[in-house]
Amino acid sequence: MKKKLCSLMAIVLICAMALGGCGGAAQSSAPAASGEAPAGDAKSDVTVTYYSMWNETEPQGQTIAEAAEAFKEKTGITVDINWQGRDIRKTLQPALDAGQEVDLFDEDLERVNGTWGKYLLNVEDLAAKSYDTTDGKPLTDVINKKLVDLARSLGPDGKLSTIPYQPSTFLVMYNKDIFKTAGITAVPKTWEEWLDACAKIKAAGKTPITVDDAYMASLFGYHMARLIGKDKTLAMVENKKIDDPAVQTFGEQWKEMYDKGYISKNAAGNIYPAGQQEVASGDVAMYLNGTWLPNEIKNSAPADFNWGTFAYPAVGKDGDGPEANQYGAQCFGINKDSKHAEEAFQFIVFMTTGEWDNKLAAESIGVPMANDATWPTQLADAKAVLDATTTRYPWAVGMENDADINAKIKTNFALLVSGKLDAKGFADAMKK
Amino acid sequence: MANKKIRQKTNWKKELALAPGYLIVGIWVVFTFVLIGWIILASFSTTREIFDGNLFKFATGLHPENYVKAWKTHKVSSYFMNSLVYTLISCTVVIIVAAPAAYVLSRFKFRGNGFLQNLFATALGIPAIMIIMPLFALFSQMHVNQSRGLLIFLYIAINVPFTVFFLNTFFHNLSVTFEEAAAIDGCSPMKTFWMIMLPLAQPGIITVTIFNFITIWNEYFISLIFANTAKTRPVAVGLYSMIQSMRYTGDWGGMFAAVVIVFLPTFILYIFLSEKIIASVTGGAIKG
Amino acid sequence: MKTKNKSMIVIFLAPAIFLYTMVFLYPTIRTVIMSFFKVEGVTDAVSAWKFNGLGNFRTLFHTPLFMSALQNISLIWLVGGVGVMLVSLLFGVILTSGVHGKSFFRSVIYLPNVISAVAMGTMWINYVYNPNFGLLSSILKTLGFSEAAATQWTGPEMVFWSMLVAYCFGMVGYHMLIWMSGIERIPVDFYEAATIEGANVFQRFSKITLPLLKGVCRTNIVLWTVSTMAFFVWSQLFSPVNLSASTVTPMSYMYELVFGASNSAITVRDSGAGAAIGVILTIVVVIVFLFTQLIVRHDDVEL
Repeated sequence: MKKKLCSLMAIVLICAMALGGCGGAAQSSAPAASGEAPAGDAKSDVTVTYYSMWNETEPQGQTIAEAAEAFKEKTGITVDINWQGRDIRKTLQPALDAGQEVDLFDEDLERVNGTWGKYLLNVEDLAAKSYDTTDGKPLTDVINKKLVDLARSLGPDGKLSTIPYQPSTFLVMYNKDIFKTAGITAVPKTWEEWLDACAKIKAAGKTPITVDDAYMASLFGYHMARLIGKDKTLAMVENKKIDDPAVQTFGEQWKEMYDKGYISKNAAGNIYPAGQQEVASGDVAMYLNGTWLPNEIKNSAPADFNWGTFAYPAVGKDGDGPEANQYGAQCFGINKDSKHAEEAFQFIVFMTTGEWDNKLAAESIGVPMANDATWPTQLADAKAVLDATTTRYPWAVGMENDADINAKIKTNFALLVSGKLDAKGFADAMKK
Repeated sequence: MANKKIRQKTNWKKELALAPGYLIVGIWVVFTFVLIGWIILASFSTTREIFDGNLFKFATGLHPENYVKAWKTHKVSSYFMNSLVYTLISCTVVIIVAAPAAYVLSRFKFRGNGFLQNLFATALGIPAIMIIMPLFALFSQMHVNQSRGLLIFLYIAINVPFTVFFLNTFFHNLSVTFEEAAAIDGCSPMKTFWMIMLPLAQPGIITVTIFNFITIWNEYFISLIFANTAKTRPVAVGLYSMIQSMRYTGDWGGMFAAVVIVFLPTFILYIFLSEKIIASVTGGAIKG
Repeated sequence: MKTKNKSMIVIFLAPAIFLYTMVFLYPTIRTVIMSFFKVEGVTDAVSAWKFNGLGNFRTLFHTPLFMSALQNISLIWLVGGVGVMLVSLLFGVILTSGVHGKSFFRSVIYLPNVISAVAMGTMWINYVYNPNFGLLSSILKTLGFSEAAATQWTGPEMVFWSMLVAYCFGMVGYHMLIWMSGIERIPVDFYEAATIEGANVFQRFSKITLPLLKGVCRTNIVLWTVSTMAFFVWSQLFSPVNLSASTVTPMSYMYELVFGASNSAITVRDSGAGAAIGVILTIVVVIVFLFTQLIVRHDDVEL
């Protein structure tokens, strides 16, 4: 009996120690001497704490972990990676508020600047310096200019406070083999050409397009912006009233898509990622989606899947044309209270230029940040679309900014493309 | 002889009368087996086959490597170990905290006894949503919201009221003669409890611990809120985060292998201990 | 002896009371207070709270998504509750009526409860409800109902019911066990006496079993209410990326409001409203509890 009791006590003690010990984990390291030259100096022993949006198990996470090791090898700076995954949306802000040791973090460009803007360090000066992987030029000269401009425009006070990486654009991803079999020679640029292409795909025995609950709001937003332009579309979200007369036009056009059997019969019931799996299976030709799609379905699509991309076609004369698209990136931001901002920035440079920039892209069928980079073959067309893009849509053309509107779109669009609502019914339901 | 015959006849009749009952539960049971069987098949299949619905053909053969992938690449091993540590430690400490409290509440008359019993019972009705926000704020300020200790602490605290409640009834039904005998022998009440009453309560402790084990092993919401890094995630949230990161990797065979790995411990426990588990469910609930 | 007992009582109770105070009492009180304040981030200092009266509640009741959440949770509670109670009672009665293999059936029916809901949900969505090769559509096709087989089980019209069925499937076993333990405690001679007097199965059920199960019934209703109010993971599984009107519940809406966990780039946080949701749910639990107390207080048979 005594023995049992002893072991129980031991467990209690262990627990107490575990509980007591956990608070001390985040020991702050000695502050670095400021004014240190960015590279080439003696090795530093600083530790940079990085809250990562990735999981260790994802290709991006694995690459970043390797890069952090190479970085330590090169500079002596330790990057302590705290793998948060998408939970970072929940955990970062409390950690920053509580003054926890966080030097560097990353997430979507719009989210970091929009939601966590007040925590960001202005990095204009740091980005204007040259580093050993930037060929003697400022960092901002060697990485994707469009995204740097975007980061600046989204940043607090219009100042560059984040460095983008992993660029992406949102456009129509399609299966080139199906297009070829169906005899479509040029990608559709207008709604008429779009319908024509759909007819051909249908005739070839395939389904022209699909969607699932994750992307319905984007599809609606894109189409509305093509009908009435970006500003009017965003204004609807701002006023929380989806009441433009063109909503009914949208209804008519997508009702027609449904009536003619152009949209997958599963679309209404697809729960993410069921929609993209339909594309992977080779039955569906097109999907309005991000350039990340080839990476997401590489395990279920055949290895030789012939990817193509084009901008969502122009729909009405009052709306935007194919030159308007959403594009964005993940981005790194530095905590304004960080004691190791320079070291953190060195790591950012390390990740967004040269070897590791390419490696990160290659591992995730993604796009490198370097200006002169070649894009992966799957996304070759997407580069042309991005280069030709002059107007940028925010994510989902704002349709996801309001949870109520997003939910409304998901319900009613699904009803529309399963024949349960007509155009008028759709417009009325959206107005409510 | 004749008697026997009649009995057999009535039995037959009775079985016939029960036929609709057999049919109904039979269908339910088959359905359950099909569902679980499907997961197991899917865990040996590939993403492509799962989504094409060609699961039962195994055109590309079995894929046991899914398990290796899940265990290593998707870090199920880490979630698994976390859950194991959380579950074992919390289950033990819960008993150490709850058993004395339950004993005192069941044995001694003092002011506030009834109130305390009711207080612990109310914990069973407080929705998790009421407690998570202040705790999240508190633990963020204390900088402990990255640690494993935090989850263990919460699991202990959350499961103490139910355990007190359960063991209370159990001690109540133990005879007082043991304590009387111990007192005559000059054993202090505290010693009596640790040396005599606690061992006597073993069946109850085992029952409630099994129940706690399954609850904590499958716990989702608290760990969703408080397991803030990949390092500290237990299995349920680990599984969900795997599903989420499918958008970056898309390995469904591996995911279902993970599902199987995750439910295997409770499943095996259940096969051997289902009578005990069922007793713990009914024993706990019936007095509520 | 008395003082000795006193110190023992204190020592034995202290840890449990401390944990209760820290993890249940203090947070509950703080959440109730918080529900009357405008609070943006959950970790905001109390000094940043702005008194808002009933404003949070008013906002909630003017938010369509929260109203959908309330409607959904009511339907889950009522329709799911009636369904689960009837099916689990039926199973309980069948299994206690002397069938062979009782413990086998009982174990299998309870089995879904020991499997993580995340695993169960993934299986229902990807297998049972799949429109191409799913179990449901295959069965319907085999039976010749090709039209019904084409139903989009996870489409906007059906997804709520699909989710509810999947959830209830798991809950039946749990409530069945509780019914069974109640039924088994009814003395056998009650039935024997009734049988001698010529009562048939249904009479025996309605005249003996049912009245004597009132207490168990109350237990079941209270447990069902408590577990439904926490309805969360199923809603998350059936709408993995962001909230949908048909699957949102107060808990999932709260998660979005407080932790801004959805996919949208800009998240509006409102922890005060999140706290208000908690208060509303707690009130519901208390009302249901008092209501069941009231109904079965007098003729609750001690079994």
